[in-house]
Amino acid sequence: MASIEFLILFLVAAGLISYLLTKANSFLGSVFTIFAVFFVFVSLAAYGFNMTLSTDVLLLPGFSFELTYLGVYFVMIISFVYLMVSFFHPYFVDSYKYKNAYNMLFLLSLAAVLGTFFTDSFLQLFFFFELIVWTTMFLIPLGKSKSAAVMYYGFSAAGSLSMLFGILIMHQLVGSFNIADGLSALTGTNAVIVFISFLIAGFSKLGVFPLHVWLPVAHGNAPHPFSPVLSGALVKLGAFVLVLALIKISPVSFTVEAIGLPFANYITAILGGLSIVFGTLMAIREDDAKKLLAYSSMSHGGYILVAFSLMDSVAFAGGFYHILAHALASAGAFMAIAAVARMTGTTKMKELGGIIHKMPITYIVYLVAIISMAGIPPMGGFISKWLIFQALINKGMIFVAMAAFFGSIGSFLYVFRPLAALFLGQELPQFKKTVKEAPILMLIPMAIITLASLYTGILHNDVIQFINKILLEIGYPVITSSAFSLTGYNGMLNPGLIALVFGIGVLIAFIIFILLKKSRKVGLMDTYTAGNFIHTEELLHYSADFYAPLERLYEKYTTKMTDFYEGLANKVKELGRFAKYLFMSKLVEVGIFWMMVILAFLLWGEI
Amino acid sequence: MVLNILIGIGVALFGFILQTSVAGVNRKIIARVQKRYGPRWYQEFLDIFKLLSKRSVTHGWIFDFGVIMALGGIIATAMFMPITSTILAFQNYDNFFIFVYLLAVGMLGMAMSASGSGNPFASIGVMRALTTMLAYEVPFMIIVLTIINLSGTSSLSGIALYQQATGNNIFLIALPLGGIVAVLSLMGMLGKKPFETYIAPAEIASGPMVEYGGKQLGMLFIMHEITVFIEVSLFVHLFLGGATNIFEFLIKYFLTYTAVNLISNVNGRLKIDQVVVFFYKWPLFLAIIQAVIAIYFGWVI
Repeated sequence: MASIEFLILFLVAAGLISYLLTKANSFLGSVFTIFAVFFVFVSLAAYGFNMTLSTDVLLLPGFSFELTYLGVYFVMIISFVYLMVSFFHPYFVDSYKYKNAYNMLFLLSLAAVLGTFFTDSFLQLFFFFELIVWTTMFLIPLGKSKSAAVMYYGFSAAGSLSMLFGILIMHQLVGSFNIADGLSALTGTNAVIVFISFLIAGFSKLGVFPLHVWLPVAHGNAPHPFSPVLSGALVKLGAFVLVLALIKISPVSFTVEAIGLPFANYITAILGGLSIVFGTLMAIREDDAKKLLAYSSMSHGGYILVAFSLMDSVAFAGGFYHILAHALASAGAFMAIAAVARMTGTTKMKELGGIIHKMPITYIVYLVAIISMAGIPPMGGFISKWLIFQALINKGMIFVAMAAFFGSIGSFLYVFRPLAALFLGQELPQFKKTVKEAPILMLIPMAIITLASLYTGILHNDVIQFINKILLEIGYPVITSSAFSLTGYNGMLNPGLIALVFGIGVLIAFIIFILLKKSRKVGLMDTYTAGNFIHTEELLHYSADFYAPLERLYEKYTTKMTDFYEGLANKVKELGRFAKYLFMSKLVEVGIFWMMVILAFLLWGEI
Repeated sequence: MVLNILIGIGVALFGFILQTSVAGVNRKIIARVQKRYGPRWYQEFLDIFKLLSKRSVTHGWIFDFGVIMALGGIIATAMFMPITSTILAFQNYDNFFIFVYLLAVGMLGMAMSASGSGNPFASIGVMRALTTMLAYEVPFMIIVLTIINLSGTSSLSGIALYQQATGNNIFLIALPLGGIVAVLSLMGMLGKKPFETYIAPAEIASGPMVEYGGKQLGMLFIMHEITVFIEVSLFVHLFLGGATNIFEFLIKYFLTYTAVNLISNVNGRLKIDQVVVFFYKWPLFLAIIQAVIAIYFGWVI
């Protein structure tokens, strides 16, 4: 029988073995990594779903584990993304400077993920949380940029330190680090402080406004196979912390009568709405495909935040469903981009075009991922957005709903850009010879993740039943769902029926198409050009500044947040320089003077 | 189940025939407004069937696949559409959000196909179409949020029944500001002037459609007619109280479409950024005012 402790230790040991193996032979080490992750995923799936994973501790003194439905849900999603991404390693690790460390850190971070979600002690939560940050911090600079890692670490550290602050307050109150005891003992001002400090931690991990600046930088510059993990899996840690804060802590605040929600929750919902809007607007004008998806993660983080702010079963179910749907969609999209980047060496949209003719399967993977991301049926993203909208409309939260609608329409705009710029349009001559479809080992996980997106969009009931167990666990009523229908506040949904009808529609259209006369195939350059003679593909490929007229309306405001953080960083630097000027003088007298002052201060009242 | 699906296909076919005829009649009406004689009312049918019978060119598999996905998605959307509260393929599942999002599948298919043609005019058209969508959809959704919040259901036939109940006005009157917003949004949805920037025949060679001919263009025409049917029917059900029998539906449908068409024909065309600014100025403001007074204060006529 598998125990949590065993799995964690197994991953640590596997990390060390893969370090040595990769050093000897990188392909072998990567394949070993796949098998190690596969073993852990299968054990979790076999024992986690029916809650028979043992929590006994034999070898790690001081550690204690706890199995909850909430933890299992998160761990299953994250380990699934890890498993899928690990298939990419054999093709990517060779290009990194420290390839053996890459595999090792990858496995270690998964071990830390298990520890984070399966714990009942805050100290341990903090320990594993930091372990994730530290392992991934060394993975990110293997991509392109070191400053990306610094930024990632800066925001993550701010988040974890803020969480530590909250943890210590709770420890002071109850005298132990137990999560349930600590959270239930909070009252009055302490509750408010812990609530805010946990929110900061959650925001910084989830990358929602106002702590979102690191997201595009880290996602955009991380190694190609690590971006799916970062966006699909690790960002969801923030959602976990938010669940702890928003559901289990109720800080003192007055109720907003019109919508029947505490003021604190209303504020977080508004912040979620802001991150939806800003993420969408920034994604629309981004030129790097990976950064675009990173901004879309920010926008989806906003949806998750909104869902968990509403204190309502349907919204929570929508939030949990969205975590799953977005993990699958985002991982799928990032993996497709990674496959393209491996072939072409770039993720800049204006340098790419017409890849579809060489990589049709990658295109389908990306297409399904964005359909789910934009919340279009028959994919999982539609169900989660539908649930969140149900709750928003029922509560009559106009402004948050406005942001949510804006984000969901805006997502059509931004997800279409990589589709058009990378895959469609003119086939650029530099890619005609060199590009070919991704190898089979990379196509397998992409196909699986595509099918999983489809599965969550058609057969919702399995997921909803599991979410219902989580809802019971956190003390909320379950939502009504059967194999063929899902009931919200003001209507029912039958995802299977939608998929069926969609299939019938496509079938009819296909029959019409096939019955009519066959078309003659012509080249892409053989197009209507209003009488101009154009002979180069680039001139007929419209992909740079795709939404220029729309971007022009808001582009002068886009640097506000980064400017703010740069200003903040400069202020901190100035403060440091001032302190240095005061205390770090070369003159001995100054040093002695400050020593005297400090001594006098310390002895204040003693003499 | 098979019967329901057949009814759904019947609704889609009905929508196609209805809208194509109404569009033909409208061409006649507009011609009279402009002191022309105008084509026969069945001219649209002739156009479509002529196109379907012609040989055409294709720019690769995505060009064809996108067209199939577009038409398929739209037919699927139309299959959910209620005509009256009893002529309805899937009872209880005519959820408003299905229409908004399933419609998007068709749009995505068409955008994909157009971009796959490799013509920059088509891409510009797609860009403008999506930008227009971002503009008109948000005010419209806020008004629909108000309606769903008031009526307690998001099923279209349910909303229609709510308006038909004694003591309730139709929402065009009950929410007057919202009614104005809805008409403007409907004009945006239908791509009527002044919001027809994405077609802009004189400017970008008919936008997304530039590269099509023959059966692909014919299928996209069918798709366009069914899309218009869905959008106008949405308006009829959400704001005009639906219909108790099919004749009432036909009358309301015809009046709505003709009214919007007449308004649009005395307008010029906005630039694409003007469209966005326009919708995010007055319609959005009116929509929010309407939502606040209807939901928070409960002032409904």
